[in-house]
Parts: sequence; C-alpha cells; structure tokens
Amino acid sequence: MATETGRDRSLSLSSPGRWIEGLSDTQFAYLLLTPCLILFGVIAFWPLVRTFQMSLQADLLYGAERLGPFVGFENYVELLTGERNAALPRPFFDPSQIFTSALTVTIIFTVVSVFFETVLGFGQALILNQEFRGRRWARVAIILPWAVPIVIQGMIFFLLFQPTIGFLVEPLQQLGVFSSTPQANSVESLVIVIVADVWKTSAFMALIILAGLQSIDRSLYDVADVAGASKFERFRTITLPLVLPSVLVAMLFRTIGAMRVFGLIETVSSCSTVPSLSCLVVQAFSSSRYASAATVAFVTAAIIGLVVSVYIVKFADVEGGGGF
Amino acid sequence: MGTETGRGTTTATEDEDKTFVERWASGSIADPERTYKVLFYIVAISFLVTTLFPFYWLTVVALTPQGNLTDVGLLPNGFNPGAFVEVFTTVPFHIYMINSVIIGLLTTALVLLLASLAGYAFGRFEFPGRTPLMLIFLAISYFPPAAFLLPLFELFTANITFFTLPGGTEVTSPMLFNGPGAMVLPYSALFLPLSIFILTTFYSQIPDGLEDAARVEGNTRLGALFKVIMPLSAPGVATAGVLTFIAVYNEYFFAFLMTDGRVQNWATIVWGLLSYQGRFQTSYNLMAAASLVGVIPIAILVVIAQEKIVSGLTAGGLKE
Repeated sequence: MATETGRDRSLSLSSPGRWIEGLSDTQFAYLLLTPCLILFGVIAFWPLVRTFQMSLQADLLYGAERLGPFVGFENYVELLTGERNAALPRPFFDPSQIFTSALTVTIIFTVVSVFFETVLGFGQALILNQEFRGRRWARVAIILPWAVPIVIQGMIFFLLFQPTIGFLVEPLQQLGVFSSTPQANSVESLVIVIVADVWKTSAFMALIILAGLQSIDRSLYDVADVAGASKFERFRTITLPLVLPSVLVAMLFRTIGAMRVFGLIETVSSCSTVPSLSCLVVQAFSSSRYASAATVAFVTAAIIGLVVSVYIVKFADVEGGGGF
Repeated sequence: MGTETGRGTTTATEDEDKTFVERWASGSIADPERTYKVLFYIVAISFLVTTLFPFYWLTVVALTPQGNLTDVGLLPNGFNPGAFVEVFTTVPFHIYMINSVIIGLLTTALVLLLASLAGYAFGRFEFPGRTPLMLIFLAISYFPPAAFLLPLFELFTANITFFTLPGGTEVTSPMLFNGPGAMVLPYSALFLPLSIFILTTFYSQIPDGLEDAARVEGNTRLGALFKVIMPLSAPGVATAGVLTFIAVYNEYFFAFLMTDGRVQNWATIVWGLLSYQGRFQTSYNLMAAASLVGVIPIAILVVIAQEKIVSGLTAGGLKE
C-alpha cells in the first residue's frame, strides 16, 4: 500500500481511473491482488506467525497475562516426548492409550475413513459415469450428503446410534459389537464417527473421480474391444491407471479434511471421548493452556504439511515426473 | 464380467423345464450384458438407499410422538407433525437459520468480490511472483482452522493493542466476537482460495480479443473488467458463489467458537441444533425435525445448482 500511494503522488492525482491506466501490467495485477493480500495477511499469515510465537512461550494458568516467558522449543519437546500428556485434557500420544490419544485417534480416523471413502467414491463414480434414466436425480441424491451441514450430519448419527431410539444399537449389542452406551465408549464412538464421515464425504471423492473418468479418451476402449479385452481387463489396463491421478487428488483433499475433524466428534460423541488433534487444541485453549494449544495446533499443521508433501511426491511419480 | 468366458455355451432351447433361477442363470451366461445391467442396478440402488436412508429415518423420528420415542422402528410409531412447529417454539430455530444464511451471504459477497479481482489478475496477467503467490494462497486452505484460532480469538475480542496514542489511549482491535464479522472474516480467508482458483480458470479462458476490443472502444481497464470480462465469467462466479455458500452453511469450527451460542449473538444452526441436545435431553423428535428443517435450504440449492457444484468441485480438484 505504501508504495502505491508513493507512486500515486508522482502521477497526476486528478482521477484514480487515469492513474490505473498508467500502471504496468504487473503493477495492475498487484493492485487487484491487494484486497486479498490484506485479508490473508490479517486473517491467515499473522495468526500463523502469532500461533508459532505463542507456542514458544510457557503456559501461564494464573494472572492477567495469558502467556508465560519465552521457553524456546520446550513445548514441542515435551509434547512429542509425552511429558506434556498429563497436563493436557487428553494425551497427545500415549502408546498405552491409543484410542484416547489425539495423534493416534486422528491417524486411525483419517486412514480408515479415507480408505472407505475412496472405495465407495470410486464405486459411485463408476455408477454415475454410466448413461441411465434418472441419472440427474441419482447425482442429486449422491451429492446431497456432501452438502449437509456437519452439525446435522453429526445429529443424524447421534440419533442413529442413540441406544433408546436408534434401531441399529440393539441388534449390534446383541451381536456383541457394541456396548450399551456406544457414545461414551472411545472405540465405538470412533467407529460411529468414521461411518458418519464416510456417509457424508464419499460423494466428494465420487465427483472428483468422475471428472477423471470422463476425461478418459473413449477411443482407448474401442481399441481394447478390438483386441478382445474383457471388461475387467479394460478396467485394469485403461481406467485404473488413467484415473489414478484424480483419485490421488481426491484422497489428498479428503486426508487434509479428515485430519481437521472436530465438529462431527462434538456432535456425535464428545471431544473427551474421541480426542482428535483439533479437539485437543480447543480443549487446551478452554483450559487456558494457550501455549500448549498453540503447540498442538502447529504440530497438526506440520503433520498435514508432511502428508501433503508425501502425496505431491507420489503424484509426481504417477504422472511420470510430469509434475502438475 | 467373469461370465464373459461362458458366452454361447448354452442355447435357448435348453431353457425349458428349468426353475426361474436356472433360467435366469443360463440367460445371463448367454447374455452377460444382462447380468452386468442387473448388477449395476443393484449397486446403484444400494448407494441411493444408503445416502437417502438417514433422511427417511429422520422423518420417522420427527413424526414419532414424544412418548413413543423409546421404540422407533422403520415406520413412525404414531403421527405427530406438530414436532415441526414445536421446533420453532421451544428454540428460535428460524433465527439461528437466518443467522446462518446472512453469514453465508455476507461471506459469499466478500469472497466473490475479492476472488474476482484476484482471479482476474491470475487469469489474465503474467507477472513476477504469480506462481509462488498462487501456491501460497493454496497453502492457506491446507492449514487446519485450529492453527488460526488463538490469535483470531484474541484479535476479535479486542485483546490486541495496535498502538498507544500520545494521550495514553490504546487503540485495540475491534470487538467482533459474538458478531457476524468474527465468522465472516475467517470464512472468507479459508474459502477464498477455492474461489480464486475457479475464477482464475474462467478468466484465463476468455479470449484476449474481447478485452482488447473493449479497450479500443474507450473502456478503461476497470471498465473492461466490470462491463465485459465479469459478465462473461458469470457462470464461474455463480459456481464459486454456490460452493462458498454451502461451505459456510456447513462450517462448524468457527461457528462454534466465535460466538457464545446465544441467538441474539449471531449463533448459527450449529448452536441451534446443539441447544436441543443440551437442554432437552430426550427431545429426539425435535432434534430430528430441526435437522430436516436445517437441511431444506441446502437441499434446494443442491437440486437447483447441481451442475455448478459438480463443475466447480472438479475444476478445483483438477487444478492441482
């Protein structure tokens, strides 16, 4: 902004219109980007820097100040070595409590739900890729769960697995799969949360994979037919390799989304029963451990960053080193 | 699929005096396409049933009278449409919904304005720093909302002092907590990247000639943008708008944490629905009815704008 006003003064001040006409393409492009840069600066970049700064200070539970003195990377060391576990509402990582440690709960949730979402999303995409009557309405039905607000998604599965009314609970209890109060049991609640997530977001996978399917050149299938390939061979040698990049992109997006899970857990069960990483941030924050909360938030961001880079490397592999 | 190898081993004459299953099986062997079709419909219908069943079941629970809620089956045990009225009398659910919609519209407006400008810059110009900036913008949407929460909370509760005036008065950040701004601003930052990428794609597809012609006709740079380019990119703007609105209506994290949950403090449907869970422990029929009511606006939007949603999501996805 400062440089622009400087330039402004050197040009005629008569009309902003004429001033804009005088800008080079680069200057004009940056002028158009200025509002975005301001918003991102205040609402995204500054908070990230500030969160990092907070994570380098000590927790201060009493007094007017929110944060204690600068302690360097002590919070990170204590968090990753498990020394901080006792001070947090739920442990970050404790091998003896896999289903109540934030890190393992988040990883289990992400891996299992993204796996099922990919499989089901692929199936839905193959269905939607066919011509059939009522396809438009089938597509609406498949997209609808994706658009349902998280709190309503949570409410649906809260009710479905509510022991007194949910008709699913009794048969599952008789089979010995569920206890009498699944929403208070960490493992069972995690299963419910995963089922709810798969229900809602398989559609998202399906749409991205469908776009990949539709971009496949039809003449490849004609060649396969002439060569006498079976349906399965066609799928394995043409469809699968060509659609794989889209599948990876869809998996990447879903993995990022799944690692942030919070609201679904709050509605179906509670953050203390199924503590995800985001849950741990909020819980530490509400118990006034601001520095610990900031540290967990930053570690979460770092884990997501790691996952993103693994996918990008893998993606470059699949594309034959072609990159983007 | 595997049956393909058995093609032609049976003939139609052998079909006499066989049971239905046998006839069907031999028919399928003779005509594998038929098996494939049947399989296809079975899979398609099971997908439809699993995605739509929860809505049916919510209706069943909502219609079941309060007293019969201990035994809900697949059909409503009694008929009590009054729950759909009670939803609004026990909790002002309509106000929560209006709050959600207003916050959604405000965010959509802000996102579309900023994303149009940025998408135009990225889509029409080659300038130094273009690719790194796009990657940085994209990176923002990778961060978990939790990573922004603490500083934004401080900022929106007037706890950040910008500077101290000579007289000793401190200029602090505005008190946005419990107001629409505390949600609209984070949402705009979080959902802006997707819209920027959708609009960048749209703007880059507009032929250069059109813009040149507009400029020759005496339009200024901004005139060409607003009068010629923006109308042409209307489909992209609509797509970005629909996706942004759905994302905001969907959002939980900031909606939960940036207000104290009272309806007069801009609490959204997140708090509206949770208030049934908290206050009326056994009002499962109201929770179900409120969930259905809350889905209506978004269901209408999905039916009307499904093409836009599909094209927008896939454009965003394939942009990588």
